[in-house]
Amino acid sequence: MSAVQVPVRPLRVLLAKLGMDTHTVGITVVAHALREAGMEVIFTGLKQTPEAVASAAIQEDVDVVGISSLSAGHTRSLPRLARLLHSQGAGDKLLVAGGVIPPEDLPLLHEAGFAKIFTMGTDTREIVAYLNDWWSQRRAAGIARD
Amino acid sequence: MSRPLDRFENAAPAANEDLDSAALRWEREVRAPFVAAHPERRDPFVTQALRWPIKPLYTPADLAAVGFDYQRDLGFPGEYPYTRGTQPNGHRSNFWTMAQVTGFGKGEDWAKRARYMLDQGLQGLILEHDLPTTNGYDSDDPLVEGEVGRAGMALDSLEDLERALDLPFDKLKYLMSVCNAPQPVNLAMIIAALEKRQVDPNKFVLHIVNGILIEYTCVGRYIYPPEHGLRIATDCIEYIIKNHPNWAPLSIISAQLQPAKANPVQELAFSMAIAMAYIDATLQRGLDIDTVAPYFHFVINVDMDFFEGICKLRAYRKVWARLMKERYGASTPRALKIRMMTSPTTIALTLQQPLNNIGRLAIMATACALGGAGETMTTPLHDEAHALPAEEAIRVGAALQHIVAHESGVAETIDPLAGSYYVETLTRQIEDAAMAEIDKITRMGGALKAIESGYFQRALGREQYERNQDVERGRRKWVGVNHLVAPGEKRQIEIFRADQSMEDEQVARLRALRARRDNAAVQAALEAVRAAARNGSNLVPPCLAAVKVYATHGELCNAMRDVFGVHTPDSQLTGV
Repeated sequence: MSAVQVPVRPLRVLLAKLGMDTHTVGITVVAHALREAGMEVIFTGLKQTPEAVASAAIQEDVDVVGISSLSAGHTRSLPRLARLLHSQGAGDKLLVAGGVIPPEDLPLLHEAGFAKIFTMGTDTREIVAYLNDWWSQRRAAGIARD
Repeated sequence: MSRPLDRFENAAPAANEDLDSAALRWEREVRAPFVAAHPERRDPFVTQALRWPIKPLYTPADLAAVGFDYQRDLGFPGEYPYTRGTQPNGHRSNFWTMAQVTGFGKGEDWAKRARYMLDQGLQGLILEHDLPTTNGYDSDDPLVEGEVGRAGMALDSLEDLERALDLPFDKLKYLMSVCNAPQPVNLAMIIAALEKRQVDPNKFVLHIVNGILIEYTCVGRYIYPPEHGLRIATDCIEYIIKNHPNWAPLSIISAQLQPAKANPVQELAFSMAIAMAYIDATLQRGLDIDTVAPYFHFVINVDMDFFEGICKLRAYRKVWARLMKERYGASTPRALKIRMMTSPTTIALTLQQPLNNIGRLAIMATACALGGAGETMTTPLHDEAHALPAEEAIRVGAALQHIVAHESGVAETIDPLAGSYYVETLTRQIEDAAMAEIDKITRMGGALKAIESGYFQRALGREQYERNQDVERGRRKWVGVNHLVAPGEKRQIEIFRADQSMEDEQVARLRALRARRDNAAVQAALEAVRAAARNGSNLVPPCLAAVKVYATHGELCNAMRDVFGVHTPDSQLTGV
């Protein structure tokens, strides 16, 4: 018997686009793939501020916040979102991002609290597996809420 | 050692057999046994985007099956239905105009890069604004921090365009400006800047893209609700036709539908339906179809499936001609001839092994040329998947078009693939399917209704997922992505990054301008824009008056927000 519990409720994921970046193909593909994998996906719509995304994440009580960034604004807006979530007691949510993010920016984003950056060309199955693994571990550790 | 085909050399054709029985015999006696011994490498063979089955062989029987008729389906170059091209002499008199996209930083940064590109032999430029500009914000708006001058040029006031248009206008034949939602503001600024530089507006062609309906469909850089977006676009079309009749007031950027994964039929049908929405709105301003239709211009991407791309371009010309003639009763050749710019698509390019993209661009640019190229071809750059273009990539991109034009021979005769059994079959299939989809959209109430109901957006969202699945499941082989993958490859390519201090400088300039200008005049000018927005009169003249007293881009967009409100679509209306 595995010690890892099978998740009993679907993982809740908030997907968001920050600032003026309106490229949506990537986030659309990911949203469809996560839904196909049984997750609940909420999309914030375009042109959101870090403040609005943080408050949506708290209000919707999501487990994961995923940001899609394709316009180079990520070095400022992503750390800001992480700080906002942390300062509002929501630092336990898994923060992930994807899009056009050069390798040299990864350390800065990891340090800010983003657990994983899925750069362009990432297989959606890898994203699904990563989120499922994280969820299983949380549940095994007794941290996850039902 | 014998070659595989040697076994079948004795299967000689019988005398006098007709084509159908000959084809059946060939299939039975020649191909089937071969395939039994050498299984096919794909099952099924399908086109890249449409996923339509591809037969092993096309013959005159396929042309008969679609009812192909040379005179009706093709005709002659420069004549209805223009399938073989809108130019009477193809590219034998002149090549297409060779252009590239540029735009970043402050006005003078753009001008510096533009001059570099003109020196590389390019004659046309595309001015892309940054996202704050295209979404209708000034550079100092708190919403846009970190985005100023990143994805294009920052435009806050007429001053920025005065600097940007410091260019050798003897070399520059063509300028396209991409700024859809705030189009009357952008148009007003360009007109005012040209006046200040004393440029003769008749000496070159300004294309404004003015493509707000595609923004609602897939790009997302909208501000106002769709019906107001359409009105604003129509104001600009009307203004240009009446005041600058040698300019182009609108481009239908099918090349934005294509990266949103519209397949060739969706791309052709959605873009034509969108064109028809603008045409209908413009005709309501009292203009007639033979005056209006020649102003429409399409920008069309070609993807890696060589024949889908070529056949799509041929079908575009024919579908436009048919719609103008059959639906609108246009009669002049100018109205029936589509104007188009073609381009290899950026979505075929890979982040992985970026130099491979030069090969992809050469194939796609060749497909553009074989499909007729249009008046202009632009080429994206091989490192575009990484970030904004670097200078080495610009040089290679410019050379690439010259290689296709001068070295390949594809432009030496007109429409050289005409008559190919496969090309003519696929061209007709795309045309027929697109006409059926256009009819469906028309029954919905046209493109505006298809946007307001989310029909376009959801269709594209589904297509985006399916196309991604094709790659992930290996149904489509993509070198560097799911085929010949180089694990742990090192990135070796030069990356351009906009300077961080650029945003601060841009903001400082904007604030200095606000302090220096005649603010009472600005407020009065903004009020005149609000009044025009309310009373339905054309927005361009009051915007022109306002930019001349240095009202800013964001202030003008806000004046229109006051009247029109803003568009905030839910997930059903974004397709996410």
